[in-house]
Amino acid sequence: MATYEPKLVCFSCKFGWGYLADEHELAKQVKNWIPIICSGKVDSSHILNAFKQGADGVLILGCRGGDCHYQDGNYEAKKRVILLHKLLESYGIEKERLRIELAMDPEGKRIPVLVKEMSERLKKLGPVKKIEEPAKTASAV
Amino acid sequence: MSKKVTISPVTRLEGHGKIEIFMDDKGNVEDAYFQVLELRGFERFCIGRPAEEMPRIVPNICGVCPSPHNMASTKALDDLYSVEPTPTAKLIRQLHYNAFYVEDHYIHFFFLAAPDFVLGPDADPAVRNIVGVIQKVGMEIGGKVINIRKRCREIIKLIASKPCHPEGGLPGGVPRGITEEERKWIKETADDCVEFAQFALKLFKDIVLANKKYLDLVLSDSYGLKTYYMGLVDDKKKVNFYEGKLRVVSPSGGEFALFDPHDYISHIGEWVEPWTYIKLTHLKKVGWSGLIEGDKTSLYRVGPLARLNVAEGMATPLAQKEYEKMYDTLGGKPSHHTLAFHWARLIEALQAAEDMQRIANDPMLTSKDIRNMNLRLKRVGIGCVEAARGTLIHHYETDDRGLITKANLIVATQHNAAPICVSVKKSAQGFVKGSVVKEG
Amino acid sequence: MADKPKVAICWLGGCGGCDEAVVDINEVILKVVDAVELVLWPVALDFKYHHIEAMKDGEIALSIINGNVRNSEQEEVAKLLRNKSQLVLAFGACACFGGTPGMANFRTKEDIFNWVYRDAPTVVNPKKNVPQPKTQVDGKELTLPEFYEQVFALNQVIDVDYYLPGCPPPPDLVVHAITAVLEGKLPPKGSTLAPHKALCDTCLRNKTKPDKLALKNIKRIHEIEAASDTCFLNQGVICLGPATRTGCGEACININIPCRGCFGPVEGVVDSGAKFVSALASIIDAEDDEEMQRIIEKIDDPAGYFYRFTLPVSLLKKKRV
Ligand code: SF4
Ligand code: SF4
Ligand code: SF4
Ligand code: FES
Repeated sequence: MATYEPKLVCFSCKFGWGYLADEHELAKQVKNWIPIICSGKVDSSHILNAFKQGADGVLILGCRGGDCHYQDGNYEAKKRVILLHKLLESYGIEKERLRIELAMDPEGKRIPVLVKEMSERLKKLGPVKKIEEPAKTASAV
Repeated sequence: MSKKVTISPVTRLEGHGKIEIFMDDKGNVEDAYFQVLELRGFERFCIGRPAEEMPRIVPNICGVCPSPHNMASTKALDDLYSVEPTPTAKLIRQLHYNAFYVEDHYIHFFFLAAPDFVLGPDADPAVRNIVGVIQKVGMEIGGKVINIRKRCREIIKLIASKPCHPEGGLPGGVPRGITEEERKWIKETADDCVEFAQFALKLFKDIVLANKKYLDLVLSDSYGLKTYYMGLVDDKKKVNFYEGKLRVVSPSGGEFALFDPHDYISHIGEWVEPWTYIKLTHLKKVGWSGLIEGDKTSLYRVGPLARLNVAEGMATPLAQKEYEKMYDTLGGKPSHHTLAFHWARLIEALQAAEDMQRIANDPMLTSKDIRNMNLRLKRVGIGCVEAARGTLIHHYETDDRGLITKANLIVATQHNAAPICVSVKKSAQGFVKGSVVKEG
Repeated sequence: MADKPKVAICWLGGCGGCDEAVVDINEVILKVVDAVELVLWPVALDFKYHHIEAMKDGEIALSIINGNVRNSEQEEVAKLLRNKSQLVLAFGACACFGGTPGMANFRTKEDIFNWVYRDAPTVVNPKKNVPQPKTQVDGKELTLPEFYEQVFALNQVIDVDYYLPGCPPPPDLVVHAITAVLEGKLPPKGSTLAPHKALCDTCLRNKTKPDKLALKNIKRIHEIEAASDTCFLNQGVICLGPATRTGCGEACININIPCRGCFGPVEGVVDSGAKFVSALASIIDAEDDEEMQRIIEKIDDPAGYFYRFTLPVSLLKKKRV
């Protein structure tokens, strides 16, 4: 697994993370980075979809405590993540692969750091196991 | 070189099966197999599910007998939580169960079986079905059957939501009670069921028993099978669908075993063959005999005739009279005739209808005391009922949160699978001399 | 007879309940039988697959298929009927989404076989037999369909024209669907022949829901004596109503039991579980992280609730092993 580079998707809230940073610069450093408006907008289906598309991990960065601009979008996101942890385990996807961090980082310096950190942890886990996709065209009658 | 004839799918039978018949070059049957083609794995995918969800999951094992699965599961929960249902809850469950028996026995009789003996097994496949039966017996009778079925299913719907997938059933009770308003129409339905049950028995006698040619045919040896029988009996050894002890009688009619369903593991074995997905149940204490009938067999049958064969009588008066008539006509107990299964079915429908009447008149039916909340999880629960087609056992084990860790299910089609193999071969040999195979 | 449209009714990996559901349209069934020519219905009629094989492509006007696909025979029959039919209606939760037996996608084939044929306490198997696609018995060959690694919904194996959900679909929607086909009044291909709204939108208990539900505890159905007129979620019991398509007539709610989602997701939603996660998360009332963890930790088996009928068509489909 030496060469394995986990595919990680990072959603970060524009209000709390990296709004002072150069987005292009940051995007170069962080692959699959998706700045959003409020972590509460990351729907459960987006997260499941990321795994369906082959992500090895999903990192969500939301605003700190009471700082969410949409009342409590960040708490909503956090509750969803905890619920999804249980759901993902039933699918054989370890809960370490989905993480949420609520904090404040206008410069966005910690974004690449957190991504790196999580990637390191995912490296130890290895890639998400794959399932066969059904093929409509299997054997003919 | 033997020639192979495949009949697929096996029709008018619940479950996915095919029949393979092997013939030698003279066209005589060498061997015949009834194979069950599918497995779904309920015992495994219910692992991790909360136990109280089981009565809602297991009806999907068989949508033709969903109420028995729902009921066996609910009773396993009573056992798992060491709790007795309240008297009212028990009445409601039994009302549901009897209504199921009535409608299911009639659908089986008129839709699945009647095409053969009302129209004859030689009729064209295009007419050998319920529509053909209705054309033959008349629209009026057809309408009556549909009406009784519909009204029984209204009762099931009231108590357990969808008749094809009952959802009720909680440890120690039922989720919903019955009102005095509802009692009124339940009572009417129960009365009409008793009347219809008597009518159906008369119809059976007029159409089937009066037909000498047919009677001789089905009473001939090739239409019967000598096996053990198993079924639930109450403490007076009368037929009981909902509870009791399991009694086994031998091919010659003596009592072979009488046991509490909790001891099922020491009595019932499941044999595995590589050519069928279904496990073949047999009597462990006899030891697997292979696919044979007679004194040496370890196979037993379940279902209407089996229940009548293992019991000393019916639990209700009108049904008891019919029971006596049947055994008089067939020349004593046990009866091995396949035809007697249909007859027994009609007698059981009468018992179920009479029992519905009893419940509909019970003052306790409408009490609000429908749950016993004194639940104590003991981590193992076994529930046993008689499904319309035979003995059904659900055995669950859980962790200390009541989540399923193990499940073992013994279902009616299993008990009958091996005997069907034997009888398929036997009737193929009886009927297929010199090559032509009739589909059916 | 000749001009009547030909109709096939067939079960694949189903329980037979969907076949009974066709009979449950009661008197109407007689009219249907009169208006069409039934060419296959294993549970009730004696036609065999070879009768279908002998037909021309597209000769059957409508195939009503229930059950999911778990083995090679079911796949073959599905494809056979597809070829011979102008329209295919996926009938019931199993055909539409995989159904309850679709939960088998949480286990492997090996795990199922090991228990069923080896470890279950009643198994007597001295020869260590396991069902095989091909077996020789006394020089004769017997075959069985191949048991697949997972359960498929019908549209994962063949093209499906219309969907009728429910476990099983209720009589009024069955009549409605059949009439629509017979009268040629069908919505666009791919439609689900059921209402678009969520069950909560039609449930009478909805009005007992406060403006903002706030749950401190999730309870299991046997733990409470459920009130017969109050929203289950308001009583702390999981009810899939917010994420489930309506159309069943609130069948379970009527007997005082919460919804488990047999009608599948509401219009436009793919993954009913994801939808319910969001709904449930939003009503959990936690002050801090610890409380969040505590409440959610106590929800046993969420996947078994959220995907009771829809696991094979969920975004992630099956357990990775
Ligand atoms: S949808 Fe329900 S009723 Fe229909 S086949 Fe599947 S389990 Fe049976
Ligand atoms: S959550 Fe359930 S009980 Fe509540 S309104 Fe919705 S469907 Fe009805
Ligand atoms: S309430 Fe839910 S589970 Fe029950 S029938 Fe309706 S959709 Fe299906
Ligand atoms: S605005 Fe940043 S998480 Fe809601």
